[in-house]
Amino acid sequence: MKPILAVLLFTLASNLYAHQPVMDMAPRWNNGYGVQTRIEHANSETTTWLEGVYTFKPSLRMTLKVPHSNGKTGDAILAMPIKRYKNAGAFTSNWGLTPSVRMPTGGGSKWDAGLSLSYSSESRKVYQLYDLYTLGDTTGVDINFGLVHADGKGSSWFTLWDITAKDSDSGQHLLSGPVLVYFKRNLILRAEYKFSAYDDDSQWDGDYFGFGVGLVY
Amino acid sequence: MFNKTIAIALLYALLSTPLLAQNYVVNVNGIVCEFCAYGVGKKIRKLPFIDPSQYDQGVKVDIENQRVFIALREDALFDKSALFKAIESGGYDPIDIRETSKEEEPMEVIE
Repeated sequence: MKPILAVLLFTLASNLYAHQPVMDMAPRWNNGYGVQTRIEHANSETTTWLEGVYTFKPSLRMTLKVPHSNGKTGDAILAMPIKRYKNAGAFTSNWGLTPSVRMPTGGGSKWDAGLSLSYSSESRKVYQLYDLYTLGDTTGVDINFGLVHADGKGSSWFTLWDITAKDSDSGQHLLSGPVLVYFKRNLILRAEYKFSAYDDDSQWDGDYFGFGVGLVY
Repeated sequence: MFNKTIAIALLYALLSTPLLAQNYVVNVNGIVCEFCAYGVGKKIRKLPFIDPSQYDQGVKVDIENQRVFIALREDALFDKSALFKAIESGGYDPIDIRETSKEEEPMEVIE
């Protein structure tokens, strides 16, 4: 599949978590691309996200996310993560600045601009990600941290803890819970559950479940 | 005369035996995860001097020690600069390169 076609066909992820990096860890190689689908259940509603990423070079990517729920396509989000990597021995890290735009592909007419500042690092045993973002009327922070276990044969398990806090016109809420990520060569699987630790949000109710599968080339 | 003939024949046989291509190991900063290994391996395998019959299609990444083993084709011209560029385009920083010793040759494919 041609990279640009992959991006066009499989844009990205959630109205709920649209700010999140699309496959932050990969692809970080020149002319790499990936597709991912994520199924999220929250607020008694299931949303399927189609996501795509194209890496021009390690410092520049383009991502696209498109939500689909109740038979309707929602607003797509186009973003351009700009990353600065640092590699040192058994440690790699990056700072990211990601401008984004939410397009009214769901039928409305409103365009929203967004910006994210992120930092992530990975060693042989520990992974962490911090992402501070704003998009439309929403400001939030995402934190992922936890342990990495590589089996030395091409696959890795990440057992992470996630903290997600959001503030928007409808109020504030805080979610937290475990995330399990599995890598096998170019395959990524992600499963997560987050409970509502704080909820003063008129448009939020209850816990969150998510499952995703992606491929990179 | 007979001994001299044997000696010449042995010398000729020795000199005409093709030298085994030397494999190399590169120390690479930051290569700590399986996805890192996948991306770097993917770039290196495209190089014309890589021997896909060895290791895992010519490459083995040791994320435990941040090393990349590469196997060279016997008839190919090794280009260190192209190798380093391939690793950089995979998103990581090569530090140095040396010939592999028998002791550190990877015994099994781990990538």
